[in-house]
Amino acid sequence: MADSSGTTLMDLITADPGKAPLASSSAPSAQPTALGKPVVHGEKKSKKATLMQIQNDTISAAKAALNPVRANIMPQRQKKKPVSYSQLARSIHELAAASDQKKSQRQLVNHVFPKLAVYNSVDPSLAPSLLMLNQQCEERSVLRYVYYYLARILSDSGTQGSNPGGGIPTPNWDALADIDAVGGVTRADVVPRVVQQLTSEASNADIEFHARRLQALKALTYSPSSSSEILSKLYEIVFDILDKVGDAKKRKKGVFGAKGGDKEFIIRSNLQYASMSALRRLPLDPGNPAFLHRAVQGVSFSDPVAVRHSLEILCELAAKDPYAMAMALGKLVAPGGALQDVLHLHDVLARVSLARLCHTISRARALDERPDIKSQFNAVLYQLLLDPSERVCYEAILCILGKHDNTERTEERAAGWYRLTREILKLPEAPSVTSKESTGESKDALPPKPTKEKSQKTRRPQPLIKLVMRRLESSFRSFSRPVLHAAARVVQEMGKSRAAAFALGLQDVDESVNINVYSETADSVDSDMNENPFSSAGVRRTTSVANREANKDTIASLLASLMEVVRTTVACECVYVRAMVIKALIWMQSPHESFEELGSIIASELSDPSWPATLLNDILLTLHARFKATPDMAVTLLEIARIFATKVPGKIDADVLQLLWKTCLVGAGPDGKHTALEAVTVVLDLPPPQPGSMSGLTSVDTVSASDPKSALALQRLVQAAIWFLGENANYAASEYAWESVTPPGTALMMLDADKMVAAASSRNPTLAGALTRLQRCAFSGSWEIRIVAAQALTTLAIRSGEPFRLQIYEFLHTLAQGGVQSQISEMHLSNGEDQGASGTGLGVLLSPMLKVLDEMYMAQDDLIKEIRNHDNANKEWTDEELKKLYETHERLLDLVSLFCYVPRMKYLPLGPISAKLIDIYRTRHNISASTGLSDPAVATGISELIYEATKPAPVEEPDTLDDDLVNVWAANLGDDGLWGKNAPAMNRVNEFLAGAGTDAPDVEEENITSRPSVSYDDMWAKTLLETSELDEDDGRSSGSSSPDSIGSVETSISSHFGGMNYPSLFSSKPSYGTERSGGQRFSSSSVSTPSIYEDLGSPIREEPPSYSSVMKRYDSFENPLAGPGGQSFGSQVEERTSSGNTQLGSALYDFTAGGDDELNLTAGEEVEIEYEVDGWFYVKKKRPGRDGKMAGLVPVLYVGQS
Amino acid sequence: MILAVLFANSVGNILVERFNGVPAEERLHWRSFLVKLGADNLKGVKNEELLVACHKSVYIVYTVLGDVSIFVVGKDEYDELALSEVIFVITSAVKDVCGKPPTERLFLDKYGRICLCLDEIVWTGLLENTEKDRIKRLIRLKPPTEF
Repeated sequence: MADSSGTTLMDLITADPGKAPLASSSAPSAQPTALGKPVVHGEKKSKKATLMQIQNDTISAAKAALNPVRANIMPQRQKKKPVSYSQLARSIHELAAASDQKKSQRQLVNHVFPKLAVYNSVDPSLAPSLLMLNQQCEERSVLRYVYYYLARILSDSGTQGSNPGGGIPTPNWDALADIDAVGGVTRADVVPRVVQQLTSEASNADIEFHARRLQALKALTYSPSSSSEILSKLYEIVFDILDKVGDAKKRKKGVFGAKGGDKEFIIRSNLQYASMSALRRLPLDPGNPAFLHRAVQGVSFSDPVAVRHSLEILCELAAKDPYAMAMALGKLVAPGGALQDVLHLHDVLARVSLARLCHTISRARALDERPDIKSQFNAVLYQLLLDPSERVCYEAILCILGKHDNTERTEERAAGWYRLTREILKLPEAPSVTSKESTGESKDALPPKPTKEKSQKTRRPQPLIKLVMRRLESSFRSFSRPVLHAAARVVQEMGKSRAAAFALGLQDVDESVNINVYSETADSVDSDMNENPFSSAGVRRTTSVANREANKDTIASLLASLMEVVRTTVACECVYVRAMVIKALIWMQSPHESFEELGSIIASELSDPSWPATLLNDILLTLHARFKATPDMAVTLLEIARIFATKVPGKIDADVLQLLWKTCLVGAGPDGKHTALEAVTVVLDLPPPQPGSMSGLTSVDTVSASDPKSALALQRLVQAAIWFLGENANYAASEYAWESVTPPGTALMMLDADKMVAAASSRNPTLAGALTRLQRCAFSGSWEIRIVAAQALTTLAIRSGEPFRLQIYEFLHTLAQGGVQSQISEMHLSNGEDQGASGTGLGVLLSPMLKVLDEMYMAQDDLIKEIRNHDNANKEWTDEELKKLYETHERLLDLVSLFCYVPRMKYLPLGPISAKLIDIYRTRHNISASTGLSDPAVATGISELIYEATKPAPVEEPDTLDDDLVNVWAANLGDDGLWGKNAPAMNRVNEFLAGAGTDAPDVEEENITSRPSVSYDDMWAKTLLETSELDEDDGRSSGSSSPDSIGSVETSISSHFGGMNYPSLFSSKPSYGTERSGGQRFSSSSVSTPSIYEDLGSPIREEPPSYSSVMKRYDSFENPLAGPGGQSFGSQVEERTSSGNTQLGSALYDFTAGGDDELNLTAGEEVEIEYEVDGWFYVKKKRPGRDGKMAGLVPVLYVGQS
Repeated sequence: MILAVLFANSVGNILVERFNGVPAEERLHWRSFLVKLGADNLKGVKNEELLVACHKSVYIVYTVLGDVSIFVVGKDEYDELALSEVIFVITSAVKDVCGKPPTERLFLDKYGRICLCLDEIVWTGLLENTEKDRIKRLIRLKPPTEF
């Protein structure tokens, strides 16, 4: 402990090795100035050194004890170097033997024992000597030390450093004893002897002995509570003493007069004190009536400390069983009872306990049927408001406010505020003193009764609020920092209760009513049920009249004047007091008041560099708590948080701030969301620490981020803000792609970028604002910030509906190309190649993001065309088409989920128009799927889970996967924790765990069947890297709207979309036949690279045999998918049964049937070839043709086999 | 619960410490925190002027007496005001033992007595005796109230 660089506390004490301590104390030659460095530095090392030294000392001490010849040598060395533990121990052994001599007693008291106190603990081998001293020595001072050290030995739990005493660390004596270093004496050896001796002393009823008895009892309580044997002994002793002295005989002072009183009474009182103190240290015994009885007896004891302990015990017991407590205290609380006397007891903590006790009982549910008892305790509690000690008064206020322990219950708090503002204090007309004086049994001998005088002055009923306010106001004028701190804390608790009252609507929010109105009404009510025989109605009536004339106080005005004083307290030089004051102000701030004053106070406070970071974060957490109490405060609180973010960005924790933002945003309600988000975006407006680089941005607030550390912190803060925006802007703006408030048709207006932006901001200013800010950050922050901004933008793009998605898409596009904003309108198309050269450093990040958006747009484009084609041709959607659509839908969902969380059930990557079709497919497949899959493993998707879970990491195909890309992705996704949430396998696991799998809802089944065990990573890598395919798509888009759309809803929608200048949205090459457009991109891509759908099947076949049995079922089920190449997707696929022998084909030319057994064909029509006969195929169609025929013969040459 | 009572000299050496219910690994933290708190704030403070700090729900009241600074840490019912009571009892006991605000030398010379006083004032984490005279009697093994 107090050692550093070799200087120990022992060195300090023995700095002057003079024999006589008095001489040394007067000697100025001592060297207090030559002390070591502060303890903080190098403590560990020196501690170890000390330990080593002690260990050595101990060993030598043990040896020395055994070898008295050498004993004489040691004291001589003592002159030169500080006394070692071993020397002290040896001295005790020696001096104990000669304890009858005055000289050795002096030596013990003046030298040995004080120096021994420096050590953390004493070793058990000292116990025999101590016990010997205890028995033989008569000298009181020696004995006092002996009890002290015996208690130390008892309390030592054996592990080094865990006993309550401080001092130079000592080794684990028992461990040393085990290696026979200290004579082999362990605690286990000596503790029984010590306990035995102390027990016998504690039971010694000899009057002359009773001082030692008290000390013995005290020492015994130090024994660890784990020892049940000692505990039961202690209980026995304590109850034994209380049996004899417990009855509260009143001191016959009135008779004898002298202050000293009679000896018997004093001894009694001393024993009462000792036993009650010991009882307090013993574990509580709630169910035990004897325990309760003894504790209640203690209230009447004459020793104030005993009364305090008894009240503390009662307080804890009352929390467990208030009813029994109230019954046991029945008489004591009545006027003239012992509890009333406590009011005048000169022991602050006793009165504090009284307040708690009264509060516990008066609020107990168990006593709801006994309002009389409750009101009695309540009356006592209210009287404590007049207590001269702040500690007691504040405790009473806190109790009234409902702050009893750390459990925060809103109802209790609200009721507390109600009590404080409505109830009044009626003092008993005749204080207990007078009533007792008449009986001659008063306790006048007890210390002063300040309330007595006061009660005479304030005898008329007082509204509690007025008392409290006056008291607090005067406290705030105090110079004592603890008082200021405590007063501010009380105001804070008051604010909490007030907020709770407002939250529950308990308070009628009308604080302008004259409080005396309440007091009068309360008066009249109370007088009916008033049980206090001493209070006379007449007096109260007159005071009520007086009140009416004299006081115009309202709660509001009282509060206002209090808060005025509180605000001035901010000038206190102690930051802790200031912090508490600010917390109090925050809590007392109501949502309807202007917070300018509070804001300016906080702003000026934060300019003070002396604020420690922990305190600031503590205040931020207070904001959080304040918000929880009153969600209406969200905006105000965010404004305050903004002050923090701008003034002390380096000191506050970004996590704490984010937490605050989040809760405020969620709780701000529909109206406040915009403001909430604004408060976050303000952080983005902070100029970065590097001067000059952000000349374009203006900031209202100055940022104190001059040093690198706070600059870094500011950057983290900005990153947090951006991330927050990305994650939450959609929520704040109530704009989701899957429930877009923007009707799709309106997108038609937005023909160019400017209009689009204008429309966007008029439609949803919140989101538009967030977008603007994010875009700015993506342009011009540091690289770290730009990355986060780009990610946030992608998240927004994916989650938002049009036109926001398009807006972001364009922006990202431009960014990827390294262009500036002006280029946006020119609509450059990404070729996917030059992103690295953009200069933003984001290319590698942006390209996959863009690709996903591209894919989504292209798929939408294709879908629209398909819809139009279907409409034009007036054709129904076939199941196969729907299936394909659904697969695209799922694939895109997978891609999107890599970037951010979207609700899979609702999200429509193909746009709102796809909803109907996908729904149709889902329902339809439902019915068919329920019959098909009987294998539970397949039905529940377990096989799927296993497959995907066992799939190795993404870098499986090093030749096709760019390592950097993968790394970037892994890093980014890992950062946001999105990977864990959105990894497909995880999704499945979650869905499965949520019960989705077992009930086998149709949609889940769809997921399974449509994505048969595709390696997610394969697919991802493929789609990312297929740049040639994208190029082709880009080339196709030229944006011809379709004037030929007919009046169905779907086509009108599609035509609206067609009017937009989506880059790469339209592949409007008219040359494609109506039925070919949907799958065009896949067929074209299949030329150069294997198509995605070919890929779908391939992993299955490569599966290890263990899965193959399951998978083969799949395989056969999905066979049509896996089998044909991309080409088949180019045309309308007819329904096939998976019979295995049939072959697919399509009509190459129109064919008109020449007979009954022949079949009409239309070019491009899908057929199933059953068999071949002499140059003829027998084919089946999916649907009956115009002639109603389904199957028939066609010439072989007319059908192309696929 | 009074979590800690700590005496330090003017350069931050800890002279006396009593921890209650503080795990051994947290004591080091408390020591350095309190010593730093004192070093930051106790310059030029008058004898027995009380300073306050808090961390979460733990309160700290500290002061300076002669060459010695005294720290008291508490929680629950031992809030800043109750700790003020405690520290008042401690300072008056120390003054009583030393006869005046102690120099460091004087404090160390009376080390044993001060430890005994502390033993009577704070007993297993609870404030025990508060009266000066009573404490004086108790450390001489006399009954708390004399006949």
